[in-house]
Amino acid sequence: MSRPFPYTYISCPCADTPVPDPERKRRSRESPRKPTQERTETQPEDSQKAKKEEIQAAQEEDEEQTFNPRSPRSNFSLYPPEQLLYCEDCHQIKCSRCITEEIVSWYCPSCLFETPSSMVKSDGNRCGRNCFNCPVCTAPLAVSTLENVTGNGTQQGPWVLSCGYCMWTTLDIGIKFDKPTNIRNQLQKMTDATAAPAFDTRSRQGSRAFGDLKSPLSTLTSIADGQPTTKDGGEETPTSKEESSETGPSNTDARFAALKSFYRTQISETSTSPSDPLGSDFGFSSPGALNRLMSLYASSSRLSGLYGGNKKSKSKPPVMREALTASEGLRIASENEESAIIKRLASAEGGWDSVASIEQRSQQSPDVRFVDELLPLPALLRTKRSKRCKSCKHILVKPETKPQSTRFRIRLIALSYIPLPTLRPLTLPSSMTAPPPPPQDLNALPPLRPVHVLLTLKNHMFDPVRITLATPSVTPGRVASKVTVLCPQFDIGANSDVWDEALQGASAPVTGDSRMTGLRAHEKVPEAGKVWDKGRNWTTVVLEVIPGTLPGSEAETSTVGGNEGDENVVNGSNQDEDVLEIPVFVHMEWDAEAQLEQQNVGKASKPDDLVARELAYWMVLGVGRIQDGF
Amino acid sequence: MSTSSLRHSAARPGSPHTPQQQLRSANTSFASTTSPGSSFRNEDDAIIFEIGARWLRAGFEGSSAPVCVVGLGPEESRRAGDYRGWIEGDSGARPPSQPINAEDWARDYELWRLDLRQTDIGLVEDKIERLFREAYNQYLLTDTGTSRLVLVLPSLMPHPLLSSLLSTLFSRWRFPTITLLPSAPMSATAAGLRSALVVDLGWAETTTTGLYEYREVTTNRSTRAMKAVVQQMGRLLSNLALQDSEEEVLSNDISVGFKYCEEVTCRLAWCHPDADTEVTEEQSSSVSIPSPENPGQEFIDVPFSRFAEPVEKVLLAPDISEHDLDDEEKSIPLLVYKTLLDLPPDARGTCMARIVFVGGGARIPGLRQRILKEVSKLVERYGWSPIRGKAVERQRERLAELRISTQSNGEKPPVKATTTATSPDDEKSDPSQEEPEIDFVEQKLRRQNKDTPVPVQGILREVESLGAWAGASLTTSLKIRGLVEIEREKFLQHGLAGGTRDSEHPVPDRRSGLRAGDRSSWTLAGWA
Repeated sequence: MSRPFPYTYISCPCADTPVPDPERKRRSRESPRKPTQERTETQPEDSQKAKKEEIQAAQEEDEEQTFNPRSPRSNFSLYPPEQLLYCEDCHQIKCSRCITEEIVSWYCPSCLFETPSSMVKSDGNRCGRNCFNCPVCTAPLAVSTLENVTGNGTQQGPWVLSCGYCMWTTLDIGIKFDKPTNIRNQLQKMTDATAAPAFDTRSRQGSRAFGDLKSPLSTLTSIADGQPTTKDGGEETPTSKEESSETGPSNTDARFAALKSFYRTQISETSTSPSDPLGSDFGFSSPGALNRLMSLYASSSRLSGLYGGNKKSKSKPPVMREALTASEGLRIASENEESAIIKRLASAEGGWDSVASIEQRSQQSPDVRFVDELLPLPALLRTKRSKRCKSCKHILVKPETKPQSTRFRIRLIALSYIPLPTLRPLTLPSSMTAPPPPPQDLNALPPLRPVHVLLTLKNHMFDPVRITLATPSVTPGRVASKVTVLCPQFDIGANSDVWDEALQGASAPVTGDSRMTGLRAHEKVPEAGKVWDKGRNWTTVVLEVIPGTLPGSEAETSTVGGNEGDENVVNGSNQDEDVLEIPVFVHMEWDAEAQLEQQNVGKASKPDDLVARELAYWMVLGVGRIQDGF
Repeated sequence: MSTSSLRHSAARPGSPHTPQQQLRSANTSFASTTSPGSSFRNEDDAIIFEIGARWLRAGFEGSSAPVCVVGLGPEESRRAGDYRGWIEGDSGARPPSQPINAEDWARDYELWRLDLRQTDIGLVEDKIERLFREAYNQYLLTDTGTSRLVLVLPSLMPHPLLSSLLSTLFSRWRFPTITLLPSAPMSATAAGLRSALVVDLGWAETTTTGLYEYREVTTNRSTRAMKAVVQQMGRLLSNLALQDSEEEVLSNDISVGFKYCEEVTCRLAWCHPDADTEVTEEQSSSVSIPSPENPGQEFIDVPFSRFAEPVEKVLLAPDISEHDLDDEEKSIPLLVYKTLLDLPPDARGTCMARIVFVGGGARIPGLRQRILKEVSKLVERYGWSPIRGKAVERQRERLAELRISTQSNGEKPPVKATTTATSPDDEKSDPSQEEPEIDFVEQKLRRQNKDTPVPVQGILREVESLGAWAGASLTTSLKIRGLVEIEREKFLQHGLAGGTRDSEHPVPDRRSGLRAGDRSSWTLAGWA
């Protein structure tokens, strides 16, 4: 169960062909013990083979199983009908797994500003303005001023970010801002430099001024620049010492930068020498290349040209070494640090609440452990994406670029092509004898007592559709409920002009009919082979369901159906075992009229002949929850 | 030799060259580097994924930390449109309705198990697809499949898993190439090392990998890992819950929520850094944690020292003697010791001074120090000898007796000799603890290259790493190509079987302008 009962889900047909092509091949190839028949099949040409295997796969799937809504895999292929798309070229339902997406624009969900694509990455996929989320509770943070400082009326005191939900402010981590604008930059400057001695900042009261941040910042950049000579490396050492004692850059970013510059230095030291043939990455751009070529041809043998001629002359090619000092990114674990952590965990101000949770930490730098090391999170950007069919590249969805606009240029949602299934319980039958009973509580269906549900399919196409429903007589899984579709074959009218119905209704007894059904509600009994109700573009049929008994409650556990899924059920979704879900296979046929299609969506039209179309998919009807016992 | 170097150094300044390397090194990772030598589609930054049984880390090359770390628990594998996680709260936070077997308890939260008999490959594929899609759509915010993909994987990965991972990625999106990087060397890279002993305290198993010059020399693994710790913590918390209700059934089943338990482990699990030191006052104080039965509202007080129990019991196995342990469940200190022992002495000396802890367990405060201390105890006790047993001990004693008696011309009674068996004299008999002789060659070498610092050797030392992901990010941003680079077309044609089994594939030279070989074949190298 996932939504209030009753609900319907549609399984995207792509689940039936999960076969990424190589995988099939792989399987057939990888297990050479398998009978050769499959293997010989893989020998012929690709397309043929692929087709064959697809067919084979489809056949396998067909005979293999009815769709099992309880299998854990089904969670990945079932979608609410409104989330599905439809490709007009492939005539197939498309879910988010069988489309490819292209980003149209990036925007901040908080300030709705669009971020140009060039800025996205440098901003770290986060809003570059003042949008922040609380690191503790993820609510948006507001920029506010500290009242006590702004005595003079004009708001110019230091600024903080504060959370309106959990009352967290940046003061908790000792950060104040000088300006209310461009907070991201201000924060970045502070954290880049000061995150290293994060432990100390707690004790250091008040805000960090920019002045004392400047020097470590400059050392950082000097590290990042990293001139590729050892002498410079020597120079770096004192500066980084100044940055944070002798441990070197302990902040992840700083260490990473140090390591990177170290490796760069090493690579360039060991590989740049003009006469080293292996040294240059740059082909013929450097004059050294000429040297190399000359030596290649001049020397007696290639070997000596490559190795002897140069390597010997350069007695010892410098070997890459490992990082040796803190400024090169090496960090020896210190004992005190961990015992300090333990001490803090055990101390009175430590404990549960002082430690950041997994969720809080997942958004932060990997070093973070305690709550007071959490930094405000710039809001993560979002994207507008256009979607294409994966197989034919036809555009299915194309939103407007502007973040404020919710409109779409193209949007082919599946519901305009497949009938919308809706489900409701039928309470009529028992009303013969007694006053109308209370509507059935779908959250507690009594086991082994038949329930009738009405399945309405509403057609949104401009063509009438023939529908065939099929369902396993017993639902898969451990709770075996019996299901019968009383009228498995029926037609649904076209989604014609609403006026048609009105006009028809005036003359023909369509509405009268429905009124009639309303009148003789008592007499109406679900009958096999008969449609329950029918309207302009919808048809209702009755499903008779006998909920099974839950294992454990009564001894009756039938093992019919869903054998292959049984194991998974036991493993996985025990939780929802009492949910009565019916897999229904829907097969629809219609004659697409080119003209009408053209009206519908501007599609390249053929001459107005009729094209027979069909579409088949599984859907899952969530009827209710079976009661435990009677 | 010296003359040639002279000649060369004289010739060197004469040959002019443009300082392009420096230009390159000044390049930031974000600038698109289009050096002709590197692989064919480099306009975009490569995207690096580190994937394990629990978490997926994703981000861009050249950044120090991944953009996102996502897991795939039951909440994330719900159907589309199923918002119960938001309505009712995370199901993992609540205690389950009845106690669950510890394995089933953790199963839903794992992407895969290394025991593939218990893994539904199709489900894994579904999960991987969703995981990657969401990572791209929510965090990476780039078009999927346009840029190169780098996967950081443990060096031992079941082939069906690897294959389904690759085929899912290749068939779902249009990745031009996927590069595989082994996680242990990457962790060492991120520590700035070339040789290291990488101890990965991972989810399903702990692996110790001896690396020498970036090559994996030995690997040992143990099932004593974070999963077992979390399970043990679950039992501890379940029993706490039971104690409250005075049922006192010490069962192996777990009756607390997984998420809740993981949270407790992450926040409060610790380990005595030293087995011998007394528990301090602070450590015996109690901490209040959300109650196992009703984490939302109630709190209970638990002595802080109890949170060290699961870690120590599972990872260190203090009360189980070595010979009672199966091969696959050695305690971590033993595992480290064993791996060091497996290494050739030179590599051992280098590696033991470069022990790198990565993985989730490395975050547990005190654990790493404790492991190192235990290892050093083992070394003190046994030296570097794999031979154990009473007979050996006896023989050792006898040898000691013999030596002592010869030293003292047989005057001392043998009883005395046994008591002095632990005297420094005896320790001398172990070559690993002898004072090394002064090696003239070594000394000369030292004198010759005074500038190059002497590498630290032969002591137990721990070096901190930024993790495998950061290592891969470093490596990739330096335009170093992985040995295993799988091209889309090749893979789609043949699958994993297309890779040559030859693990000694001709190494594509990073620096040569031409593509090494025609790359018509690719290798799985260590993964084959």
